[in-house]
Amino acid sequence: MADEMLLFEKITQDLVELKDTSEMMMDLAYSALLLNSRYLAEEVRLLEDKVDRLHTEFELLVLSSRVESQETRGLLGLIRMGVVTERIADAAAEIAEVVLRGGEPHPVLSMVIQDAEETVETAVLGEGSLLRGKTLKEARIPEETGMWVLVVKRGDRWIRPRPDLVLQLEDVVIASGYAEGEEDFQGLVSGKPSRD
Amino acid sequence: MIEIERVEYTPVSVRETLILMKDISELMIDLAYSAALFNNRELAEEVTELEDKMDSLVYVLNMNLMLAARDKADAESLAGVAKVGSLTNSISDAAADIAGIVLNDIGIHPIVRKVFQRAEEHLARVQVSETSVLAGKTVNDLDLAAKVGADIIAVRRGKHWMINPEKEIVLPEDILLARGTAMGLESLVRAARGEVDEIG
Repeated sequence: MADEMLLFEKITQDLVELKDTSEMMMDLAYSALLLNSRYLAEEVRLLEDKVDRLHTEFELLVLSSRVESQETRGLLGLIRMGVVTERIADAAAEIAEVVLRGGEPHPVLSMVIQDAEETVETAVLGEGSLLRGKTLKEARIPEETGMWVLVVKRGDRWIRPRPDLVLQLEDVVIASGYAEGEEDFQGLVSGKPSRD
Repeated sequence: MIEIERVEYTPVSVRETLILMKDISELMIDLAYSAALFNNRELAEEVTELEDKMDSLVYVLNMNLMLAARDKADAESLAGVAKVGSLTNSISDAAADIAGIVLNDIGIHPIVRKVFQRAEEHLARVQVSETSVLAGKTVNDLDLAAKVGADIIAVRRGKHWMINPEKEIVLPEDILLARGTAMGLESLVRAARGEVDEIG
């Protein structure tokens, strides 16, 4: 009984991670496309490997549960849901590949990219940053810098930019916007004053 | 005989069509997961309908891409766009498969509910009360994504679901389907029930 609880807990954890990661990959892949960002595209490719490993582990766990006959349909539903997350992750990775295939001077997707002037910037939250411990809403990054936060990376976790997300030391904040906002954005997030 | 609609050429903006397809595929995923979480056939059927719409959009997108190519460089560039279009369609196919779990009574394991409680994206269903601050405002004006971190993805009024509402006015007795953070959805649920005077 205790073993079964443990197994179900692990299955739940894996499916949560598959679902979250596949949706995050989709967001990042489209951002990579619309902003013609190789950086984001490469991150999506890395996440794809993680999903493949996780998906195999998840399926093995589901198959190893001792199935009572009345539960088979529910378990099949779980397996199908896992397959869906994996397919979404695959599609996201392939979108990222389209971006990676394009050369720098002539973006493959010149018809779809948002605006050639827009860039993707990353900044690491530093010791001296006023944003430490603040929520994203309080941080007012778009108002102060004109840059729009796409995603926050904490360790190897990717976090969506929700208004109530509390920023921590060493968070990597990834944002898009016009090049003019770049320095203000770096200064605000890192806490190091810009040169001027 | 199976009837499949013939898709006619219409001139469209490639960028806008692709973004529309992206938005629809994302919406389909949320609706499909909602259908699974609440074991709701109607939502699952809405997903299937959106899937048909996506199929037509891919055709129209590809027709426009074919007409846009003038030389080799164009062809190289447009092949990438066509690829993205078909991948977006694959994502919507995946969503339709989740809907299929519900429509074919394959079964929703109790783990699914736990998964949704812990996943980053939460889903909630709530009915709007007479005294709710949400009533009388359009979904766009409520600006819930920025204020609380939750989005209304569908509204059920009487027997109809309105999918991806924007300019629709929220009315008492509407049933809202929303996604967002746990905290955001809690604020939204309280506001819908008329328990608070302000959103957020």
